[in-house]
Amino acid sequence: MTDAPPQSTDGSSATSQPSLRKDGASRRPPFTRLLVANRGEIAVRIFRACREMGIETVAVYSDADATAGHVRAADRAARLGAAPAAESYLRGDAIVAAALDAGAEGIHPGYGFLAERASFAAAVEAAGLTFIGPASTTIAALGDKLAARRSATGAGVPVVPGTLEPAPLDRPDQVDAVVASAESIGFPLLVKAAAGGGGRGMRRVADAVALPAALVAAAAEARAAFGDGAVYLEREIRPARHIEVQLLGDRAGAVVAIGERDCSLQRRHQKLVEEAPAPGLTRDERRNLHEMAVRVAQAAGLENAATAEFLLDEDLRFWFLEVNTRLQVEHGVTELVGDLDLVREQILIAAGEPLSEAARHAAARASEPVRHAIEVRLSAEDPARDFAPVPGLIRDWRMPSGPGVRVDTAAEAGDRVPPEYDPLVAKILVVDADRDRAIDRLARALAETEVSGIQTTLPFHRQMALDPAFRAGPFPIDWVDEHWAEALRPGRDAALEAARWAAAAAFANLSSPPPTSTGRAADGSTPWVRDGRHGAIDRWPR
Amino acid sequence: MTRRVRVSLVDAAGVRGGESIDIDPDAGDAPPESRRAIVTPLGTVGHDGRRRVEVVVDGWRFELEVEDAVRAELRRRATREPDAAAADGPAEIRAIIPGRVAAVRVVAGDAVEAGRTLLIVEAMKMQNELRAPRAGTVERVAVGEGQTIENGDVLVVLR
Repeated sequence: MTDAPPQSTDGSSATSQPSLRKDGASRRPPFTRLLVANRGEIAVRIFRACREMGIETVAVYSDADATAGHVRAADRAARLGAAPAAESYLRGDAIVAAALDAGAEGIHPGYGFLAERASFAAAVEAAGLTFIGPASTTIAALGDKLAARRSATGAGVPVVPGTLEPAPLDRPDQVDAVVASAESIGFPLLVKAAAGGGGRGMRRVADAVALPAALVAAAAEARAAFGDGAVYLEREIRPARHIEVQLLGDRAGAVVAIGERDCSLQRRHQKLVEEAPAPGLTRDERRNLHEMAVRVAQAAGLENAATAEFLLDEDLRFWFLEVNTRLQVEHGVTELVGDLDLVREQILIAAGEPLSEAARHAAARASEPVRHAIEVRLSAEDPARDFAPVPGLIRDWRMPSGPGVRVDTAAEAGDRVPPEYDPLVAKILVVDADRDRAIDRLARALAETEVSGIQTTLPFHRQMALDPAFRAGPFPIDWVDEHWAEALRPGRDAALEAARWAAAAAFANLSSPPPTSTGRAADGSTPWVRDGRHGAIDRWPR
Repeated sequence: MTRRVRVSLVDAAGVRGGESIDIDPDAGDAPPESRRAIVTPLGTVGHDGRRRVEVVVDGWRFELEVEDAVRAELRRRATREPDAAAADGPAEIRAIIPGRVAAVRVVAGDAVEAGRTLLIVEAMKMQNELRAPRAGTVERVAVGEGQTIENGDVLVVLR
């Protein structure tokens, strides 16, 4: 069953919006109004599901986002506070108050910010609202990576070797003990934030000398990003692939795996490209992986959506890493392959519905997928300067479209990418019959994409889509770090050469523009010289 | 009519870097590959006819300063612009992204090697180390810990 029961006969007054369904059937949405405690593309993504379900939407925003895309996309919006996240999107009290004030019945946290804060979920529950995600107790049990490692061990799932308790940073007398446990795990190892995610609060440590400084730095970053500075140690399994399983569970205790994603294409633990299914796995390997993920989720009593992350080592062994009790950034590739809407599923589950037909069907086919989807994260980062974030004002903004292409974004031309938040500006997804065709489609979609005003990761993704090694796959997590800094240089140099000519043409054209009747193609110049002239004619301030 | 244009690359903080190249856009010796360029004039620099242009090619974004090559040459001679200084890297280290100074690792008078960490800047929730572009002596640290910085702000001056 995929929907709430039909409305009663006089139900037309129950919803403020008339049904647009052609067959005239109107269905009562599981909620009247939901608030999304997030910003950017994920807030817009969740609003889209709400709108399709007939649910009214409430946005929240900081002063940096007063006119942002997610605010424009919502039915109503509430201000939280100043630009820094700690004064706006991390203020759980203000968000709960905004939801109550707006008459929202529930809160979807998106990803990041408060999505995996058990205290926030508990505050939402305590206010009599529905938290669209796992219960606060489950978030505490699974969202704390240390607790999850203990729980998975109890469920008989192999976990990455390391410590199971936080490192005692506030105890100078314990430094020797920490170093000793690090020695027994073996170097190089990773210092990770218990509350962490996305590589924040994580440090790779090569030897014991570097350990104390790494612990302090990781703890400081974790405290700034998550409000919790607890860190632990974990063996670095390398080379490895990062493979994660999408999970859904309902209130009755049914848990299913909706296939896996390969997120190995990372740079310093920040994912760049994700795909589903993971290339090169057999049906039995998939089944085994999905079954382990379900065991971890069932041990924690998972309700709603979560993702179990694993490392796949050279000997094709899976090691449990952690569970993310939220909707992942990369959930879209699973939706494209599994033909379901995970946000819709989350909302239905939160309303007390059992797992939908769509979810069960997707789970039943998960070990033998018949499509392949790829997502690239378009971020305001400069690939030529070590992917440093480069906020700014978006000038031109052309996103791809056409068969098998999906773009999740909140951005438009004229929007500002503020420096305060994550630099992700759009997710470009493609789906096709198999991986080869999906890569062809990705290259086509990225060729259609144009952004000016800010530097984005687009040139990296374009080159990746055309790279024979990417097509050959699979590749370990360190592939980008080890091979790509130099690989990008020739393309950038060639682009700079062309850019100089376009700039020179634009300047030369200022005082003596060519007769417009000549047309762009008739003057015999190369394309970027023409584009430069054209830019000068159309846009030079006069 | 042949008009050579001097084109210089400018970084995100507005600092000119790299070599300046003179191009005659009508000469027909442009590189042969077909590429699409998005060209946006950004405005005038100073009062001497220099202009700033943004050009995006293959997703790479550049800010370029353009001026008449003859005029540029005259100006360079008149002001004796120290082109040689560029080889040693800029003396002023400026912020290339807005953010917050998380830590200051040097004080005035410190001798630094190229690559030595000067500051840690927190932007977009990430901590970024700002390193010395060349060896030198720290003349001045222009910012303090916790200070919010904007694009182009002077952070450290080397001599």
